[in-house]
Amino acid sequence: MIEYVFIVPVIAGLMTLFLPRVLGRGVLIITAFLHLLLTLMGWFGKLTPAYVNFFRVTPEGMLVLLVTSFIFALISIYAVAYADETGLANERIFICCLLLFLGTMSMVALSDHPIVLWIAIEATTLVSAPLIFIKRSKEALEATWKYVLICSVGIALALLGCFFITLSMDIGNIDAPFSFTSLNQVATQLDPLWLKAGFIFVIIGFGTKMGLAPMHTWLPDAHSQAPSTVSALLSGALLNCAFLGIYKVHVLMNYAGLGAFSSNVLIGFGLFSVLVAGIFILNQPDYKRMLAYSSIENMGVIAFGIGVGGIAAYGAILHMIHHSLLKSSLFLSSGNILLGFGTKLVPKVGNMVKLFPKTFVSFFAGFAGISGFPPFGIFISEVLIIIGAFQSRRYWEVGILIFGLILVFAGASRIVMDISFGQTSQVVLIKEKFFRVMPSIVLLLTSIALCVWLPDSIYQKIYQSIAIIGGAFHV
Amino acid sequence: MIHLIDAVLAIILLSVLLSLGSNRLKALVEIMALQGIAVSVVPLLIEYHAEIRQGEIIFFQIMVLIKGALIPGLLFMALKKIAIKREVEPIVGYHASLLTGLAMILLSIAVTERLHLTMPAGRELLLTTAITTLAAGFFLMMSRRKAITQVIGYLMMENGIYLIGSALTKRSHTLYVVEFGVLLDLLVGVMIMGIILHNIKDAFDDVDTTHLGSLKD
Repeated sequence: MIEYVFIVPVIAGLMTLFLPRVLGRGVLIITAFLHLLLTLMGWFGKLTPAYVNFFRVTPEGMLVLLVTSFIFALISIYAVAYADETGLANERIFICCLLLFLGTMSMVALSDHPIVLWIAIEATTLVSAPLIFIKRSKEALEATWKYVLICSVGIALALLGCFFITLSMDIGNIDAPFSFTSLNQVATQLDPLWLKAGFIFVIIGFGTKMGLAPMHTWLPDAHSQAPSTVSALLSGALLNCAFLGIYKVHVLMNYAGLGAFSSNVLIGFGLFSVLVAGIFILNQPDYKRMLAYSSIENMGVIAFGIGVGGIAAYGAILHMIHHSLLKSSLFLSSGNILLGFGTKLVPKVGNMVKLFPKTFVSFFAGFAGISGFPPFGIFISEVLIIIGAFQSRRYWEVGILIFGLILVFAGASRIVMDISFGQTSQVVLIKEKFFRVMPSIVLLLTSIALCVWLPDSIYQKIYQSIAIIGGAFHV
Repeated sequence: MIHLIDAVLAIILLSVLLSLGSNRLKALVEIMALQGIAVSVVPLLIEYHAEIRQGEIIFFQIMVLIKGALIPGLLFMALKKIAIKREVEPIVGYHASLLTGLAMILLSIAVTERLHLTMPAGRELLLTTAITTLAAGFFLMMSRRKAITQVIGYLMMENGIYLIGSALTKRSHTLYVVEFGVLLDLLVGVMIMGIILHNIKDAFDDVDTTHLGSLKD
């Protein structure tokens, strides 16, 4: 029964509310690794879903689940080390919500029923809002309010999209179970007009959660105000889950023969996100906001790659994996910087190379990775996406994409250089510790390892998940 | 005989217009309670081909309770806690809001005509009402400054989505999709609880989202 993947974290999370604090930390780490174990068992087909009407093991879902689980395991180590050194406000609620967050995200990855998927994504909003508000400051309140309000509107519109998909079933006179698997089989009989309308509403709704511009406005605030562990989870795991919702409907559109339409919509949103991120990242005074805008850019790149299809779709899935690894590593490093200097403002921090040598290595390497330098995986995925776009003769679009990438690199590199080598008068509050540096280094090393040697089972899963939308790895 | 459903839909449309024109928050909450009850009885009044099942009747009763009593009750509690009576200085004035509401009704009639849906007779007005409610909810969210009025706008938008769902889907199959719209009420509840518990007032002296403007680029 693969449903344990989300049942276990939810039960463990609720349990921690009643446990002593130190025990709660233990439960967090144990559950995280148990979750990784369950995920691996599911990955190798040892676990099968019990409720096949609602949950299925899909290749794209398993990819998202594995990435989420792996990142969460490392983040849990960081979170406990962090709590050990400085203590946390509202620690019980924090750990409970972290585990519930893991549970709801796993549910998103496994769900096959559009409404179950929708409920799971709504639940991620509900359980992650307290995590953003955990510091209880004025700014945190503002970020949480925006997050809940904007994402709720998005979620409501996504529900409307689901209505339209059922309407297209009604008009086509189809009597089949309402799940993605069975919808894909009868896709050609669905009413195309309402299916298109449904896709538009779903991409606006879940795109809000994924951080596609112009619905991204909650994202920089939430990422900058949340504790760094939560930012790493939001960026590395939650955005992928929202992307999964859009991807499933995109696959349905392809089965229905409307792939060209949904591809163009995805490319449009993707390019706009990259450009918006590029513009806002220039002169950004806050390094956590800089990372948040970089997430928007990368989500744009993923949407673009999926829209282009072919070899670019392969690149997009690869990009999703590596972005999660690198970005969560960067957020964890930024947590060390924030802890060390006590400020998020770029002009006030600096000289990290002397003051925090280990964090400097992980932060700078993460920056090199996210900007697309080898030996990190984003190098390969971006090259594949650009080649794919050229192959499908989208010259204008690829021109805009590269321009946006250059803007983001220009903006981000200035900030990273300032933090790393600039002067500062700030005193070091808390020194870096092994357990707060190790997780980000492991994440970076994983990205390098996957770049050099991609295990065959991961390759197969990527291949299976993109085969439907015309993705392939034949150059 | 006048169809009962038309009367209910007229009440919903009037409540939308009233909420756009009213500046007293207490009245606004009362209007929302009325609208909630009206919206949740609409599916019962539509003529179905199939019989209404036992489970559905219980579900509609729960809907009436949530939309008509629970959420307005929470809103009243929030109002008491934060002790503000009026929405002052909305971004768009009340007369302009009313006029926009009327324009929205016209627009949604035009949209309903254009869609050429093969709907059972009598549902055209339902779809018009639904689209108007949805659009007006959006408008209310964007044109008011108080957090509580924005929540009310969201509630109205959600009522609109629920109406669209009940207007469009046939009940011939056993898909429970529209019913899950009730989960959106959960989000509304959480937002209100957020206002009550964490009290935007404590942090900002007033439940005014213009103070929520320090995070920007």
